[in-house]
Amino acid sequence: MLGDARKAQEVFHATLREATLRSANGETPSDPFWLFRDARWRCLEASEHGLQAEAVELQEHDLSPSAPTQIERLDVNQLAIWISAAPEPQRTALALFYLDEFNHREILSLAELKIGELSRLLANGRRQFQAWLNTTVPQKEAK
Amino acid sequence: MKIVRLSRRQRLLANCAPISEERMNDRSMRAAVFCARGSGEFANQQSFDRAVAALVQSVPVPPEIGDWFSSENPIVSPKWRWKKTAQNPAVLSIGIALAVIAGVFMLRLFEHLQDFPGSGTAQRLLTIASSTRSVLLDPVRTDAGALGDLFFMKHQLEHYDVPPEFADFRTLGCRVFDDDEGHRVAQIWVIEKKMQFFLFPAERNAKTGAALDFSGWRYVEQEGWTGVVQERNGVCFMAALHGREKDLAPYVSKTKE
Repeated sequence: MLGDARKAQEVFHATLREATLRSANGETPSDPFWLFRDARWRCLEASEHGLQAEAVELQEHDLSPSAPTQIERLDVNQLAIWISAAPEPQRTALALFYLDEFNHREILSLAELKIGELSRLLANGRRQFQAWLNTTVPQKEAK
Repeated sequence: MKIVRLSRRQRLLANCAPISEERMNDRSMRAAVFCARGSGEFANQQSFDRAVAALVQSVPVPPEIGDWFSSENPIVSPKWRWKKTAQNPAVLSIGIALAVIAGVFMLRLFEHLQDFPGSGTAQRLLTIASSTRSVLLDPVRTDAGALGDLFFMKHQLEHYDVPPEFADFRTLGCRVFDDDEGHRVAQIWVIEKKMQFFLFPAERNAKTGAALDFSGWRYVEQEGWTGVVQERNGVCFMAALHGREKDLAPYVSKTKE
């Protein structure tokens, strides 16, 4: 979400502190996703400070059968930076989806999206990521 | 490459198809994935997603953060509450239906608990008792216990004896008739509370022909009339009156089981 480990850790601690305070005051949230919702809003808030990614029209390519090989060659930080640079709500959608901890209904609830929006954001995200992959790790090189 | 036709909704769902099978806990999603599975495009999407997820999984978690999440499942499922579950319309409907079924079952059970061999005949005779007028009977003024000899001598009805509990009551009249099933029935009208006595053959085993006996006094009710029945020597005796069980109970209380 943030592409910055230090910021992420700060958000994590702030969210945890809030949860502890609520628990101590007997105000435990009934929403099982409260922690994730709160963390998401804190991430969005934190990402408003500092450097902002420029809004640019990204290229899109069809998904390639060799994409898994290309992805394998990526560094995890490259992926984190790419996702954190995506505009909202695509960033949330991609982050929650690839965490592989939620089903699509939970993602819709957490990201406050409709199924059509989530579908479009993920489909476009994949195609844009593939285009970026093709530039960063060319297919020939990956093979 | 296989071409798969998907509806718009299925296409939207297929784009959000979860990476792990375990996240596919939605029927419409399962259907969409099932339909899309044949297409090469969807296969590319799945392998792409798996590769990205695998890369995400490789993100090192700082130990100080990892320690906070010792549990495998960080999402605590909502607490199951009786009140909330009971308010669900489906649960409510099932509950009501089960209650009605249980009610009918209990009613039938209680009805059958009252059953005894010959209870059907006894109920039919209670209907006869309610419609009998005293003029239909031959006037006889004696003790009810003495009529056993009359039934034997005049109608060859063996063991048609009035039990000792009711033997001392003075009679107004009696008659012997055949019921709907051709059984010989003796009917006695007594002065005491305008009670009527019936003597009729006990129900018999269809195969062996042996009388189906039962012990003690058994109550039977029909249209505001109550009867108390006893079986002895293959013959049932029933004392009937217009009233409730409590009106008959004092007569048999000393001998009732």
